[in-house]
Amino acid sequence: MNNTWIRHKGWTWGFRTTVLLYFLILIVLPIAGVYVNSLSDGWSAFVQNIADPIAWKAVLLTLQLALVATVINVAIGTMSAWVLVRYDFPGKSLLNSIVDLPFALPTAVGGLMILVLLGPHSVVGRAASALGLDLVFHQPAIVVAMVFVTFPFVIRAIQPLLEELDTSAEEASYTLGASRALTFFRVILPAMLPGILSGAMLAFSRALAEFGAVVLVAGNIPGRTLTASVYIFGEVESDNEAGAAAVSILLLTLSFLILWLINLVQTRRADT
Amino acid sequence: MKTIRIATRWKRYSIGMLAVLMLLTVVLSGCGKSASEPSAAAASANNGDVTLVIGAYSVAKDALGEILPKFQAYWKQKTGQTVTFQESYEASGTQARAIAGGFEADVAVLSLEGDIDKLVKAGLVNKQWKKEAPDNSMITRSIVVLGTRKGNPLGIHSFQDLTRPGVKVLYPNPKTSGGAQWDINAIYGAGLKASERTEGKKDPAAAKAFLEAVHQNIESLDKSGRASMAAFEYGVGDVIVTYENELLARMAKGAAYDLVVPDDTILIENPAAVVDSYVDKHGTRKVAEAFLQYLYTPEAQEIFAKNGFRPVDQTVFNKHKQQYPTPPGLFDIQYLGGWSEVRSTLYSKRGIWYQVLAGI
Repeated sequence: MNNTWIRHKGWTWGFRTTVLLYFLILIVLPIAGVYVNSLSDGWSAFVQNIADPIAWKAVLLTLQLALVATVINVAIGTMSAWVLVRYDFPGKSLLNSIVDLPFALPTAVGGLMILVLLGPHSVVGRAASALGLDLVFHQPAIVVAMVFVTFPFVIRAIQPLLEELDTSAEEASYTLGASRALTFFRVILPAMLPGILSGAMLAFSRALAEFGAVVLVAGNIPGRTLTASVYIFGEVESDNEAGAAAVSILLLTLSFLILWLINLVQTRRADT
Repeated sequence: MKTIRIATRWKRYSIGMLAVLMLLTVVLSGCGKSASEPSAAAASANNGDVTLVIGAYSVAKDALGEILPKFQAYWKQKTGQTVTFQESYEASGTQARAIAGGFEADVAVLSLEGDIDKLVKAGLVNKQWKKEAPDNSMITRSIVVLGTRKGNPLGIHSFQDLTRPGVKVLYPNPKTSGGAQWDINAIYGAGLKASERTEGKKDPAAAKAFLEAVHQNIESLDKSGRASMAAFEYGVGDVIVTYENELLARMAKGAAYDLVVPDDTILIENPAAVVDSYVDKHGTRKVAEAFLQYLYTPEAQEIFAKNGFRPVDQTVFNKHKQQYPTPPGLFDIQYLGGWSEVRSTLYSKRGIWYQVLAGI
């Protein structure tokens, strides 16, 4: 065999070391740095930074809005995935590739689109203001921005599960006399559930962190429309790195917990 | 079976991607290095050609764009040297941080004194910088004004009108935009002026209450003056608190707004300074200092005036007097006690601005 050198053990070792180093330098060190930086003044300073009314209100608002965005995405994303897998229609493959667009676009472009589409001069904006509703620069626009950037997560998590789902299970259910609703809730939904959960958690943690689109469409007023990521930006800009780091590690810890939960859900799925 | 096959394919695929990524990183970092070397060499060569690095705040971009070619011609004629410029435009505070963090600008043109002070603190500009050029090293002036929709439908004439219920106000956040401190200073100062008229003395508590009343009507607290203006252009809000030059520049480009000059407002002064550490490193002190002086010549001042700034040169200012009315209650930063006082009372960690934001 002339490709034995490719199979040499040294390669595996080299690859493993490179990947580990890469991981260490790009992810572990910066994150550890943020933790160390934020706790360098001691726990009381950290608690003080978090207890700042502007800070905790921003975190709370972000959690609330991210939750709303996630619920919307779970509903729409599940339906979209269903349609993309189960139905055939012209333009389906194009639609399927468009789903990933929010990942590819700079999020600021997403923000700009929201401004143009929902702004006071737009049709939607005018209709809303006639009803006495404010969209852009208020909370609805933040939710829309979060939904936009996290749109692909739920769809992409459910799609492979639906594709893998053995239609014979479904057919068996019908043959045994189950109604469509019963089949959906007892056969199809359980199969999709891990995807929905992990997609929702990914979407939630991404929504927590969204900056580019939100900063453009939100009014950024503390207590009303200031989200955590924009707060962090403001604190960095005004030379309060400790305050920024404190909120950062709160978000980091949350995201880390969520990713860990996703991992749990997925390993449980692999075991069964 | 199927899942396992997909998993292994995925693994192979991701390893390939990783390899490509790493290759890219190596190539890119290599590029960055080779690109930065020639410029440093050009700056230190000094054999007839010289490179001057300008770190400026974004609003000055249009005016400097006109002034730089003129200085180029002037310097060529005077010394025979060809000056090439490297220009960078950022929000004033961001630019100051960039220069302090290692962006080697020879000349800093910033929005407010406080941002030059950041460079002094970093040990890059000498403490006496205000004595090195005329007018305390301030190259332009402006005032804080109010912009309304065409025809001023809400009848806004003063900062007091901003407290009326239902008036939607825009200004940037001074936490993220150093330049926005002028806007907040103007509102706070107008409150002080009002208290002086009613109570006979400056009352900081009344001024703070006034700032709070205006802040009640805030519609969007953007991260920079530019972002605030953009929001106003999208149709958000009824009134924008901004600089006269910024609004004049927008109106010159055809935006349909009314410019309202409040009776009580603040005089803005924009500084420029030679960054001593970097000019000595690049050997560009002579041309940098000449450039700073050039900004005070009638030609340069005329360009500033054309771009909406109030010239510091008295004869040029007199020529444009009709365009730049002086409001009766105009005050400068000294009225608020000077920059260091303003920084500690208004913008410190638990200062008045923080209290207004947090609602305490």
